[in-house]
Amino acid sequence: MTLGLPGHLARESSSRALANAGHWAAFACLGIAAILGIVMATIGGETRSWPAVALVGIMVVLLAFVVRFPSVTLTVAYLVVGTGVVCVLTVLVMEPGSVFTTTNNSVLALPRIALILVGGAGSGSVIAVVWATLGFGLGEAAMFLGVALVGGTYAPSTATTLAFALVVIARVFDGVTRRPDMRRETGLHRASQQTRELAIRHDIELRATARLHDTALSHLVAIAAAGSGPVDERLRLGIRQDLGLIVGRDWASDHAAEAVTRPATGAPRGRRSRGDGRPPWGGRSTQATDAVRADSSRRIDGTTPDDEAPSLTNAFSAAANAGLEVRVTGDVAVLGTLGPARAAALDAAVAQCLINVARHAGVDQAELAIGLGGGEVTVAVMDSGAGFDEREVPPDRIGLRTSIRARIEQERGTVRLWSTKGIGTTIVLTVPEGGE
Amino acid sequence: MSGRMRLTQQEADPVGAITAYPIVTIGAVLAFSLAVAMTWVHWGEVGSPIAAVLALLLVAAAGIIAAVSATPARAPFPVERLWLVVTLSVGAAIAEYVSSIGNNRFLYDDFGPAVIGLLILSLAPFCTWVSAAMAGVLSAAVLSILVFGAAAYTASDAPVAALIAVNSAPVLSMSAAAAGYSYGIISETLAWQREANRAALHRDAELRAGIARSVQQGRVSVLGREVLPFLAGVMTADRISVADADRARELAEALRRALRAGIESTWLDDLAANVRLSRGIDTIIDDPTGAAADLSADQRSALTALISWLGDAERSQLIRVAFTNEGEDGERGAITLVTDVGAAAPTRRELDRFVAVARAVALRADSALTRENVTVELSYDID
Repeated sequence: MTLGLPGHLARESSSRALANAGHWAAFACLGIAAILGIVMATIGGETRSWPAVALVGIMVVLLAFVVRFPSVTLTVAYLVVGTGVVCVLTVLVMEPGSVFTTTNNSVLALPRIALILVGGAGSGSVIAVVWATLGFGLGEAAMFLGVALVGGTYAPSTATTLAFALVVIARVFDGVTRRPDMRRETGLHRASQQTRELAIRHDIELRATARLHDTALSHLVAIAAAGSGPVDERLRLGIRQDLGLIVGRDWASDHAAEAVTRPATGAPRGRRSRGDGRPPWGGRSTQATDAVRADSSRRIDGTTPDDEAPSLTNAFSAAANAGLEVRVTGDVAVLGTLGPARAAALDAAVAQCLINVARHAGVDQAELAIGLGGGEVTVAVMDSGAGFDEREVPPDRIGLRTSIRARIEQERGTVRLWSTKGIGTTIVLTVPEGGE
Repeated sequence: MSGRMRLTQQEADPVGAITAYPIVTIGAVLAFSLAVAMTWVHWGEVGSPIAAVLALLLVAAAGIIAAVSATPARAPFPVERLWLVVTLSVGAAIAEYVSSIGNNRFLYDDFGPAVIGLLILSLAPFCTWVSAAMAGVLSAAVLSILVFGAAAYTASDAPVAALIAVNSAPVLSMSAAAAGYSYGIISETLAWQREANRAALHRDAELRAGIARSVQQGRVSVLGREVLPFLAGVMTADRISVADADRARELAEALRRALRAGIESTWLDDLAANVRLSRGIDTIIDDPTGAAADLSADQRSALTALISWLGDAERSQLIRVAFTNEGEDGERGAITLVTDVGAAAPTRRELDRFVAVARAVALRADSALTRENVTVELSYDID
């Protein structure tokens, strides 16, 4: 999902990867040295190679410890023991009569290269070069001492010097080129986050537009079709309910109150104001309107917010407005296990389900089953109405599904729907306990 | 585990590989220099100067191919190219063997194994750890055959197995280093990606809440300012007038249009709007089928990075992005990005960086740079 390493991690990661490269190469060198010793001891018949194999084995074990626990102590221990091993191996390899005329040979180069590639504690190019230099210097000194003990000819090891040069080149290159500028300029991580944000924003905007479209369009069409005349009470109730669902109860209450006091703002031409300060939906007093403004959590349907326990008030009110009789099984009080926001989301989603039943199922009864189990609150909305095939739902009605699904999924819940034409529809909404 | 085996640094961390590509040139130069130096050192053992020169030429060819193939403009580095480089360098080792056949007293001063190892090592950012290890083992196997031939003439009376072990050491240790680097950097990158994805999922939840709130004040509330007050007005009124009915019709149509526009637009339109607003660069998206929505997350990121970069620091005056279908059955999508160059025109080198990143996310990419325009053509397979 994300492209590569971010600038602040790239340097350390690269340093660790280079250390890893050194370790693998060091194990390869020690492995080959051990194999060489075994071949010489068995096929070559040189039994003195066995101690060499054992010494190389000790280096392998210590290096494994350094790789696993890259501490200063272990790194120093590896270098010290390795130096001793190189010294003893030099004595063994450079004994009088040896095939090698000088210390510049591949056999001695193998453990010495493994010393240089210790990697060591800490990260960063400078520290790595310091450890490698120590490995190189100690190895050289050990070899010098060893050859002095047996009286052979000392010559610097070409292979070891090349290996050391390679380590320095790789580390210096890494140190010079791993500036974060290029990563910052390329901005892949910023782009990745931005793309994610854009996708989420687009999705939410589309859902919000769809929800608005889905809910408001039928009212607009109804108003357009009605032509001039008195406002149908059912239409009025439907609008009131849907405004609450679309933008939240506070908007509807605030805005409607604004519409009353400031008829020119936002209201269509020809709109009349009652001008008496009364809210339009039920003859409540001016004081009541003020109270609504002061406390945005209050409802617009005239009930007071005395009862703060979560319930399906919105859903029942929607059903009542739509002329739908709802039979309830189970205890509504289980909504008390939900946080207020989650309970409100569930309430709004159930309300939308019931509105759908009233609008599309062609029945005036619905059944609501409420339950609590397995850490989840489940509400099933059932009707024996017309039913539908989800695939045949017109695309411009996606808002209804999204307005139910979006609410529930945002609360980490699930929506399952079964519908058969002519039999009815069951929607099961499940949300986990708790939430905000 | 499978990710580590399949991925190269170039695929998992394209910018890292772009940073690393000069090391291939350094490695190639070192390999060639080593070959020349070693040939000069054991020139006394060379019986066939032609073979010796051929060996040097093969090393040079392998190095040039490695260095050229690793440049960002030629990304991604195909695995076949690794095998070509290894084959040429093994060829060089064989030529070197032929050049000193019968006179080669010490295997230690042969450059073949070291050159193969060096080239494999320098290509570590561009190959998987498995292919690096395999290249090393197979090369060592071929070199072992040469050791059989050379064993009779060497000064050492050690068993052939010991000579094989010694001769394989440079190539095996350096290919082990290449494999270790590739394995290490991929592990680090994948671990970071897992962490980043976890954080991104967590952030998405917060982002959703924040965006949901801002959307209320954004596009939807523009609609809301028209539609919802109207409905609220009707709700509070006693009668509906003819003007209300007309207005309702207009609003219904506007609402339909808004939804259609919302469905047809994609994240890229939002990005273009961002670039327009924040940088004042006209950014035109021509994506009639909403193909931008089909791009993968990484492809989107690469395109976003490119557009954001081109729209920044006066690199462009105008950006046009067009999506089309290619192929007989439209099985390939093409994105053509053309900009009118601004005051600070981008350089070819900078552009190649984005081309390499695009190629790392399964987009075929080409770029062209003139005084007036920057053109980047991307194409991808449609599933």
